[in-house]
Amino acid sequence: MRRFTWFNATSLTLGFAFLYIPMLIVIIYSFNESKLVTVWGGFSTKWYGELVQNEAFLDAALVTFKVGLVSSVIATILGTMAAYVLVRGGRFYGRTLFSGMIYAPLVMPEVITGLSLLLLFISIGLDRGIVTIILAHTTFSMCYVSVVVSSRLVSFDRSVEEAALDLGCTPFDAFRSVTLPIIAPAVISGWLLALTLSLDDLVIASFVAGPSATTLPIKVFSSVRLGVSPEINALSTILIGIVALGTVTASITTKRAVVRRRHEQQMAVQAG
Amino acid sequence: MPETTPNPWNDPTAKPLIQFKNVTKRFGNFTAIEDLNIDIYEKEFFALLGPSGCGKTTMMRMLAGFETPTSGTILLDGQDISPIPPNKRSVNMMFQSYALFPHLTVFDNIAFGLKRSNMPKGQIADRVQEMLRLVQIEKFANRKPEQISGGQRQRVALARALAKAPKLLLLDEPLSALDKKLRQETQFELMDIQEKTGTTFVIVTHDQEEAMTVASRVAVMDHGKLKQVDTPDRIYEAPNSAYVADFIGEVNIIEGHSTTQRDTVSIAWAKGQPEIIGTLSKPGMDGNVTFLIRPEKIVISAEKPTDRRNTFQGKVVDIAYLGNLSTYYVQMPNGQMIKAQAANSRRRSSRPFTWEDTVWLSWTDTAGIILDR
Repeated sequence: MRRFTWFNATSLTLGFAFLYIPMLIVIIYSFNESKLVTVWGGFSTKWYGELVQNEAFLDAALVTFKVGLVSSVIATILGTMAAYVLVRGGRFYGRTLFSGMIYAPLVMPEVITGLSLLLLFISIGLDRGIVTIILAHTTFSMCYVSVVVSSRLVSFDRSVEEAALDLGCTPFDAFRSVTLPIIAPAVISGWLLALTLSLDDLVIASFVAGPSATTLPIKVFSSVRLGVSPEINALSTILIGIVALGTVTASITTKRAVVRRRHEQQMAVQAG
Repeated sequence: MPETTPNPWNDPTAKPLIQFKNVTKRFGNFTAIEDLNIDIYEKEFFALLGPSGCGKTTMMRMLAGFETPTSGTILLDGQDISPIPPNKRSVNMMFQSYALFPHLTVFDNIAFGLKRSNMPKGQIADRVQEMLRLVQIEKFANRKPEQISGGQRQRVALARALAKAPKLLLLDEPLSALDKKLRQETQFELMDIQEKTGTTFVIVTHDQEEAMTVASRVAVMDHGKLKQVDTPDRIYEAPNSAYVADFIGEVNIIEGHSTTQRDTVSIAWAKGQPEIIGTLSKPGMDGNVTFLIRPEKIVISAEKPTDRRNTFQGKVVDIAYLGNLSTYYVQMPNGQMIKAQAANSRRRSSRPFTWEDTVWLSWTDTAGIILDR
């Protein structure tokens, strides 16, 4: 164990303060009685009550979750397919071009992606709404999925797939019963990444969203321009809570898996 | 030597299980297999032996269906298998990395191929149990591959490949990941299993001892070509080239010029040295020849032996003590180095010879092999 030193304590305190004081202020003021954001008027949960009554926010939240779920699922399917072809397809005509193009959205400024999608939707006459947001989010999150999945595919022993073929699988059956279960963790983390990206995207969504559908980030951003309301603080606190819960659950699950695996390996050593 | 079992490769009427006919395989500009012809018979334990990059793995992958020949045909039971995909061939493979499915238990790994055949559900469990018994891993049926040791994984891989009772089992360096003791035990088990199941085995290996131990016939390969296909003892005692002799075991290679009188050959190999006397293996051996002799066929002694014609004097330069035997590196007056091996049959005797000793090397007329050069 490292010893306690004043230097460590100070840097740790400063680091945490820098990261978490802004969030702490939001959480504290969400319980503020006063309508004025910066004046403390006593403890109250009334803004949470008002938030639940606010239909515009609830609609925006619903749209955000619908878009997130649908676009992340489509992006996961397409991104996994692209990764499989790039890693396993061997050398086919246009491979270099394809692999360059699939990663382009990673480095492309979001403003340009948003603008070009907007122009595309206008020129093909697609009305802006939930469909266009789903399409746009699928487009940019698919490449993240394919990066995550292809890194898993590269590191996995090809002969496992060959063994499946050798034992009577058709290529599709081999993918379904062997490859997919093995790369499943990467596919799931790619899907979570796509979901997160979709949930917190503001720039692209604001280009392609229409009056019929607004996502939560757009709603929050536009209402903050008219002044920070305590309702926004309440909403932010709820979101911080959800994210914190997710992170803690994920890290506990991972830790447990590591401990279990170590235990199993010890059993194997003893048995061997 | 009387033959106890008939060998199909000596029987012209026997029908081979596998036939390679003028098979060539190229990868771009690289020729992995060049115009290869070979017959492999049913119930054989056939070893493909060669250094890495000699084409042995490519041959095996063509049999499994993962590669197709650039030209030529491969027949299995008289049928051309080139257009048949791997999942439709009655050929199974045991992979070098074992390639076990990490997400399935040992039982499900072995049942994997059976579930994809038309075997009724009830029989699958029985067949898996039979396989588990065959390779002695019944205890581990419900473990995942990462929960068992390397030796046990090797058994699972073998059981999985044998479960569908293929006509032909391919083994790609099956024992290379095991330590030496376990490898030797497993070699005998492999032979036992091959005999019990009556399956034709083709094994790829770069380990010559392994090939010699397990195989009924060994094919020595180099640069995509077959150098020699024969039984292990013929490969060792009657190699057809210096390459084969040098690849399998140790050998002294002496170059010289021969003259034949009736059935004896005299080889002049160094000025001022007596000629090497050998027996003629085929007529017309006058001219430049290579004389090959294994170190264990050479006797090393302090006095000049009188019972044999090939006797040469030299000086001990190096001694390699290997425990069971010692190899003496003896330099002839012309600079030629000759290795001679002597078994260390006594435990407590001081070494008979030491560095710089002058010794006599001798061998009988039939000890060496004479090849045209």
